[in-house]
Amino acid sequence: MKTISDLKIDEEAIVQKILAKEPVKGRLLSMGIVKGAKVKVVAHTLARQTWDILSNNTKVALREEEAHSIAVKGLHE
Amino acid sequence: MSSEIKVAIVGQPNVGKSSIINALSNAKLHVGNFSGVTVEKKEVYLKRDDYDIKMTDLPGIYALNAYTPEEQVAKDFLINEDYDVVVNVVDANTLSRNLIFTMQLLDMHKKTILVINMIDEVEKKGGLLNKHKLEELLGIPIVLTSAKENRGVEEIVTQIIKLYNAPLAKNKIYYNEKVELRVEELAKILRKSPHFKSPDYSRFLAIRLLDRDEDVYKMIHDLPIFIEAHNALEKMYKELESEFDEESTTDILANERAAISYNLQMEALDMEEDDESLSEKLDNFLIHPIFGLPIFLFFMWALFQLTFVLGNYPMNVIANIFGETSSFLADFLPKGIFNSVLTQGILPAVGAIIMFLPNILVLFLGLNLLEQTGYMSRAAYLMDGFLKRFGLQGKAFVPLVSGFGCTVPAYMAARTLKNPKDRIITMLVLGFMSCGARLPIYVLLVSAFFINSNPGNMLFYIYIGGAFLGLVVAKILRTVLFKGEPEPFVMEMPPYRFPSFKALGMDLWIKTKMFLQKAGTFIAIAAMVIWFLSSYPVNDTIVQNYNTKIEQTVDTSKKESLKMS
Repeated sequence: MKTISDLKIDEEAIVQKILAKEPVKGRLLSMGIVKGAKVKVVAHTLARQTWDILSNNTKVALREEEAHSIAVKGLHE
Repeated sequence: MSSEIKVAIVGQPNVGKSSIINALSNAKLHVGNFSGVTVEKKEVYLKRDDYDIKMTDLPGIYALNAYTPEEQVAKDFLINEDYDVVVNVVDANTLSRNLIFTMQLLDMHKKTILVINMIDEVEKKGGLLNKHKLEELLGIPIVLTSAKENRGVEEIVTQIIKLYNAPLAKNKIYYNEKVELRVEELAKILRKSPHFKSPDYSRFLAIRLLDRDEDVYKMIHDLPIFIEAHNALEKMYKELESEFDEESTTDILANERAAISYNLQMEALDMEEDDESLSEKLDNFLIHPIFGLPIFLFFMWALFQLTFVLGNYPMNVIANIFGETSSFLADFLPKGIFNSVLTQGILPAVGAIIMFLPNILVLFLGLNLLEQTGYMSRAAYLMDGFLKRFGLQGKAFVPLVSGFGCTVPAYMAARTLKNPKDRIITMLVLGFMSCGARLPIYVLLVSAFFINSNPGNMLFYIYIGGAFLGLVVAKILRTVLFKGEPEPFVMEMPPYRFPSFKALGMDLWIKTKMFLQKAGTFIAIAAMVIWFLSSYPVNDTIVQNYNTKIEQTVDTSKKESLKMS
């Protein structure tokens, strides 16, 4: 399954499912990262350890593990 | 006759709640703690017409599914405390995300005002918000504000009074039929208990239970209706989860709320999608994979240089004033105990502390500036990969850096870490982050031992050395005492904002006041005690005794040591 950590910088996708467990899941949901939301990878650090994603005008910083727990599909899939 | 209106101000972090409070005119601000916890509690007192308005500013909260201790405090207040009006502050730029939380607040069905802040930023981008339409859809009054331009802030107060006197409006937000059906069924069971007779309250609790809220689950746990409610709940979880094909009812409600919020925004807000905003342009550069870290280190270095160089000028002035005053008073006042305690005990001690006020203020100002502009969270983003190696997470960076200013707020900032292990490790190593009060000692050491080197650089090394040692200790603690994975890292990065000078000034003023109060009271008293202990008791017999001993001793070294005692 494709997740956020498979995306390239500036690539956009649609959230399909949040695989993270609570409480991370609840936090993601309250930040508007829900099923159907559009997300875009803005940046990641050199070692791809920390990710910066944009969704609903909100920028959220995530670790690789959390980025890997958000399943996405391409905009036109 | 005046009546009191109790208001709870609530909103997600970074929506500009504090700047709204600062913009209220003739308000008396009282800063304290929520009882039992070290979470800052700001209360604002206002008088308008015949009303005494008491506003409690709750800590920023993303959702009622509390995550951090601050959020828990806000949630407990909302559910258990008594208040008349809820003021929900949201950011116009991220309206639909903010409305997700508003939905949860509306579940309570209390008198609520929606304050849409930073509306100027949306309008500048060519956005247009249809306030009346949104009021119609949500069924609550809306105030559009821009704390920066001081727009709409007074209208909040007018609306509070108006709403206080108006009857509670009908709830307009309902979930999917399948969900509402269960909510009503569950609420009916809850109403059998005398605690939950009110239809609004039982509906709210039913929604919270379906949202798998553990706090509410505990509330009903010891009641006679528990078995019935529990069985019904288990059945509903299963039914709903299969009907919606979701893993958990929490997801169902989250999706529902997100969908309603998104539709509300589509209906009421006419806004083009952002091109690359200024924030993004800045981020291309400030969180650049390669240049981000050096830029960050430069900022830190500059902050400490400023603290030292800039703080030095007023420092000399203050030192001179205190020196002159005490020597003038020593000559002017009659000789005696009072003269001695004042000019040799209190004044030098208090002066030595106040001398460093400028340095401390510059440091605080710098840290505040980093926080207000939004750079602090970028720093956490940049540092996470590095801190993770020491068993900490990026967010721990904020308390660690605040530790350079003052350790007390740093301990408070550590509460943003949810995981208790992460929190305790961070707190334990905070002592290695040299706080502002240690600056005098470092300055003394630097000027005593490193006369020929650049004092700013030496100071920077001392600070960095301490911080590095702290990280090593954190790693040791993580591997030996507190085994386990660091907390997951999910953090909002707010857009860059120009800092509000009023808020910066307010904060500095509160800090200065607290510092001076302590210097004037605790330190003055302590100085008096030390002066007393070093001067008294003057016991003539003992003095006589020692003098005789000194005279009688032949051994010179023994003579010296006796003189000392």
